[in-house]
Amino acid sequence: MTSATVTRKGLLRLPTFSATQWGPGLVAALVGMFLLVVLVLPVAKVVYVAFQDPSTGDLTIMNFVDFFNASLFRESFINSFYVSAMSVVFATLIALPLAYFTTRFNFGGAAIIQTLGVIPLIMPPFVGAVAMQLFFGENGSINLLLYDWFGFTIPFMEGLNGVILVQSVHFFPFILINLAASLQNIDRSMEEAALNLGSSGMRLFRRIVFPLGMPGYVAGASLVFLKVFDDLGTPLLLNINNMLAPQAYLRISSVGISDPIGYVISVILVVFSLFSLWVSFLALKGKDYATTQKGGGGLLKRDLKKWERIGCYGVILLILGFVMAPHLALFILSIASVWSFSPLPDGYTLDHYAEVFQSAGGYISNTLLYAGLAGLIDIVLGTAIAYIVWRTGIWGRKALDFLAMGAVAIPGVVLGIGYLRSFYEVEVPFSEVPLASVWGVIVIALAVRRLPYALRACVAALAQVSISLEEAAESLGANKSRTIRKIVVPLMTGGILAGFVTSFATAAVELSATIMLVSTESDAPLAYGIYLFMQSAAGRGPGAALGIIAVLIVGLGTYASHKIIERTKRDRAVDQQS
Amino acid sequence: MKKLISNARKTLGYSALAVAISSVSGVALAAGDKLVVVTSFPSDLTKVYKEAFEKEHPGLELEVLSKKTTAGIKYIQETAGNNKTDLFWASAPDAFEVLKDDGLLQKYEVKVNGIPAKIGSFPIHDPEGYYKGFAAAGYGIMWNERYLKAKKLPAPAEWADLEKPVYFKHVGMSAPSRSGTTHLTVETILQNEGWDDGWATLKRMAGNFKSVTERSFGVPDGVNSGNFGIGVVIDFFGLSSQGAGFPVDFRYPSATTLVPANIAIVNNAPNAEMAGEFIEFVLSEKGQQLLLDPKIRRLPVNPKTYAQAPAGFPNPFTDERLSNTLLFDLQLSKNRYNLVNSLFDVMVTYRMDDLRAATEAIYEAESALEGKSNVKAEELIQEAKGLIAALPITEAEAADPEFAGVFTKKRKKATDKVTGRQAEVESSWDAFVVANYRKAQSLAEQAQALL
Amino acid sequence: MTIHSDSKGIKIENVGLRFGETEVLKGVNLNIEPGEFFAFLGPSGSGKSTLLRAIAGFGPNPSGRILIGDRDVTGLPPWQRNVGMVFQSYALWPHMTVRKNVAFGLEERKVPKKEVERRVEEALDLVGLSHLAERRPSELSGGQQQRIALARTVVVEPQVLLLDEPLSNLDANLRVQMRRDILQLQRKLGLTTIFVTHDQEEANTTSDRMAVLSDGVIQQIGRPMELYDNPKNRFVAGFLGSANIIDGEVRVDAKGPAFVSDKGLVLDFRPHAEGPGSLVFRPQNTFIRRSDSSTDNCLEFAGKVVYREFLGSLIRYGVEVAGHLLAVDEMHRIGLEHVGEGADVSLCVDLNQTVLVNA
Repeated sequence: MTSATVTRKGLLRLPTFSATQWGPGLVAALVGMFLLVVLVLPVAKVVYVAFQDPSTGDLTIMNFVDFFNASLFRESFINSFYVSAMSVVFATLIALPLAYFTTRFNFGGAAIIQTLGVIPLIMPPFVGAVAMQLFFGENGSINLLLYDWFGFTIPFMEGLNGVILVQSVHFFPFILINLAASLQNIDRSMEEAALNLGSSGMRLFRRIVFPLGMPGYVAGASLVFLKVFDDLGTPLLLNINNMLAPQAYLRISSVGISDPIGYVISVILVVFSLFSLWVSFLALKGKDYATTQKGGGGLLKRDLKKWERIGCYGVILLILGFVMAPHLALFILSIASVWSFSPLPDGYTLDHYAEVFQSAGGYISNTLLYAGLAGLIDIVLGTAIAYIVWRTGIWGRKALDFLAMGAVAIPGVVLGIGYLRSFYEVEVPFSEVPLASVWGVIVIALAVRRLPYALRACVAALAQVSISLEEAAESLGANKSRTIRKIVVPLMTGGILAGFVTSFATAAVELSATIMLVSTESDAPLAYGIYLFMQSAAGRGPGAALGIIAVLIVGLGTYASHKIIERTKRDRAVDQQS
Repeated sequence: MKKLISNARKTLGYSALAVAISSVSGVALAAGDKLVVVTSFPSDLTKVYKEAFEKEHPGLELEVLSKKTTAGIKYIQETAGNNKTDLFWASAPDAFEVLKDDGLLQKYEVKVNGIPAKIGSFPIHDPEGYYKGFAAAGYGIMWNERYLKAKKLPAPAEWADLEKPVYFKHVGMSAPSRSGTTHLTVETILQNEGWDDGWATLKRMAGNFKSVTERSFGVPDGVNSGNFGIGVVIDFFGLSSQGAGFPVDFRYPSATTLVPANIAIVNNAPNAEMAGEFIEFVLSEKGQQLLLDPKIRRLPVNPKTYAQAPAGFPNPFTDERLSNTLLFDLQLSKNRYNLVNSLFDVMVTYRMDDLRAATEAIYEAESALEGKSNVKAEELIQEAKGLIAALPITEAEAADPEFAGVFTKKRKKATDKVTGRQAEVESSWDAFVVANYRKAQSLAEQAQALL
Repeated sequence: MTIHSDSKGIKIENVGLRFGETEVLKGVNLNIEPGEFFAFLGPSGSGKSTLLRAIAGFGPNPSGRILIGDRDVTGLPPWQRNVGMVFQSYALWPHMTVRKNVAFGLEERKVPKKEVERRVEEALDLVGLSHLAERRPSELSGGQQQRIALARTVVVEPQVLLLDEPLSNLDANLRVQMRRDILQLQRKLGLTTIFVTHDQEEANTTSDRMAVLSDGVIQQIGRPMELYDNPKNRFVAGFLGSANIIDGEVRVDAKGPAFVSDKGLVLDFRPHAEGPGSLVFRPQNTFIRRSDSSTDNCLEFAGKVVYREFLGSLIRYGVEVAGHLLAVDEMHRIGLEHVGEGADVSLCVDLNQTVLVNA
């Protein structure tokens, strides 16, 4: 997720859209149809079942009445809400100092923080849960040591605490990235004006800096809230049942149950996610504070005094240790022979990697294929939608944007169920293979899930392309499609690549939708492979080794995208100077 | 390609999807001779069989589709309209009963000789001929030796031991609704001790739970890593964890049931003939020997195979204790399958915190009472225990097919009628259970206040 | 109007500043009188904004001293200087209403609430925008934002007012209006004001005195007309208005000193200096000789017209004289006879209108 506070100024100038330019209209129609089939229809299926009387098949709201009458579900709802809200609080506690340090001070730690900002996201959350349990669990390394030395333990992972801890550590980058971006977009003179009028220190931060960074913070925080609210893997692996997403999953995947409550919960998840998106949208409305002028963006940076530097590094190292804990634990697990009720394993071995390389090649190649294709679909759709929404006057273009962004509010489980329900009865033309069991469907599910990320990146890239460049090409005789192909897309390359890598990296570790859709093991991607390995006594080691490989693949991808963005920025800077 | 797309558009209206799919359909079709197995077994087991079987049948591809038992059933039910699965391969016989009742299994007659009719008191193969037992499994208790040593706990031996206050928050178990094997454990206890006493035992045990795991493997995993010390598990989890080198031990309590793990051909299997071959292979001497692999460690159903077993490996055909196990009433289990699952979830899984709080209060009151005599307090404690044990429905109600129907009936046609709603029923149970647990807690606290 | 300020002069003593390898300000000395309207004029990169920011306390600490009144503010943080600054981008905070923006500085100074209200009202009146108090900055036009930025700054009664290219974001008509308004406001408040601009017309029309900067050095300080008429060097001459500049040197031979251009043109006048220099004269003081024009005290050139431009009030001729291209402006009148391109002409400049400056 790049920044949600991307500057949209200047994008709003629409070129005259003549009726003879039917090309974009056709593309818009095709994209709209595609989203209708792969997003709206499956979700509508799930919604339909939620409103169906299980005994008669009639439409009814009885299922919802049952839901709200059951204290268990009310409690689950409250728990989900509590966990999401607390995760936002803790994620803020982690992200706020980091964002402030990077934007305020000149020091080498900024690079560490930027790396920190992505590392947690490149691990499947459920793997993170397993790993956190090893370190922070009631009998995890830390508590065993604490007990040995001091005779007490800390319930980091007790009940909902565990979910909050794992989720905050996993999702805080959303706040960090968005908040840092929005602080960087503040014109320096905003702060100087306040200094000039006699404000300084905390007052300055409270009255000027934080309110101006607020849109980015709200964007990040609402994303964290929504993601935690929808997440299934973490509570499941921590054996927490009294939350909405696990309840939905348990109800839907249990034997022979005709109970529609699982679907009701799915609908409630979707509605609530859309609601929180809407709230953040309202909060941000008319508050596009991206104020950068030629005066230069970002807060006033200053050098640190020696003791300040020590303090900053101290805070960063503390957070780093916390954030890296899952990765470290996973790595140790991957080279551990036996690790049982002890701070560290009994012995170390490389056998797990040997086993993984021998038997898990399929998972890796599947992952590269699926995530690669999903990323490709995403940038094609993302570029098309970005262009249609911001550069044409086509009717319904806003709806297209909302539809594509709305995918962020659809939990993976819900999408997976919707796909099974919608596509299982449909066969691939000229064969007897059900559509839902073709691996292509996994690719499409991944693509739909990651589309919002790619779309944001593409919109940001498009914003950098001045409309006059396009007009210049058109006045020289290029038609719309040639202009887009030869001028707009090449200029967007950096952003598009970044979008691709974001989609690719996050799709590679996705489990919630794929777990519903994988129909044969030979079609399974990495995350599913890890999940399988983790299901046996002898398999935790290989599972962890596979997890480390996943982290490496995604990490390299993310690093590549970072490099690409940096290089594009540099190229642009050079262009402007010459 | 063009024709394909235009056809797709006409017939499906899913043009965009069809375009994306059509390019990959060739891959799926070219896959050749294939056998698709839906299984709940871990890859440690399936990998071994897949390799061995593919070696015997070159050119054949054994596709393994790993799902939890419950999800596997759901998958076969949901995809029955367009079945692509050849075999269902899982532990719990009741899971096969559910599929059999739905008409989703196919009869098959085994050709291999040397398999006895019964293991313990349990018929190895389905008497009606739908599913075949290939390995036996019994339920028991595993524990982490380091954990028990560190916390100075004795090793448990019987189910009743798990009710002791000393194990408070040290025990883990999976939920029957999440794991077919756990369902069997619960049903075993219910049938062994009777409906009321069985539930009382279960709930006293559950009062000691550290967690109710989402997967059955969550239990050995929790014990292996030392997250909790003691787990209620199926034998091979304990044995294979030991085989993998973890400092754990396993033991069968005196009341256990040996139940065969099974395999069956799915109705309308695309490759039924090869599916039969696979069953024969699994039951053959070679296939049976594979069960002794240290990462598998399941009890073969062919008595001869035990000759090759490592020392100390249990043999149900000679071990007195195991051969005299309970008779398990499969029909009874099947009738109340979903009801038991749901009841367990309502009373234990989802109300763990309340149950634990009440249990803790009782333990505290009891330990305060120790060595003293206070009739009033004793009465309060007994009353509290009774409240925890109380059930929202009687055995007769549970056995009433009409009532159980709320949980099982699936509306297949628009004209089908189902009475009552599961959510409604569960909600009323939940209110009953929560009120009882809270009252029990407050009674126990009152008792303690008296001491 | 009751906003009074306790106006102070500004003394800049030997101020220097470097950003890494680049020296942005080199030994700047300047004395600005209390109540004066002073302009910093220079091309971009000349150091004028850097000097202004140094006075306000932004950017790295410079060497030398900066005094406001008698107070040495060198090294003080911006919020302790009581210097009002209006930013080029206005820097109105988008999350606050106009009223909150203007009240900000007073609130930071812990002024009682009642008084804050009164003074904000006055300040808004002063710029004539009381009716927009509840708007957000994004709902205002550029000119309105400019006024609010001014109001926000003067409301705290700073000792000096610093304006950093305040008109550059406005369109041409508004700019003329705004600069008068700013001047009027300054006169009303009697506030020592520094105005940074790259536009000489703005500097000329508003300032009492100005400093022309180039390469981090003050080239010349003085009243606008003084600088225009008597530029001290070639840069000031060229930067202020159009000028004909002939580079060369004064050679002394047997006949006495004479100016010889770098292209070998020898000019018939007797300079009182020696060595390299440039002869500067303005196009409007250069005439194309016609039959009736006088030739008293005239420096004459013979050349050829290479272009002719109609500029509205003026006709500008480009005349090539021995390799030098000179501009000649003629006031346009109806019926004036024009000289055609390619015509040979004779030019005349009144010697009193020429200046000889250092190179």
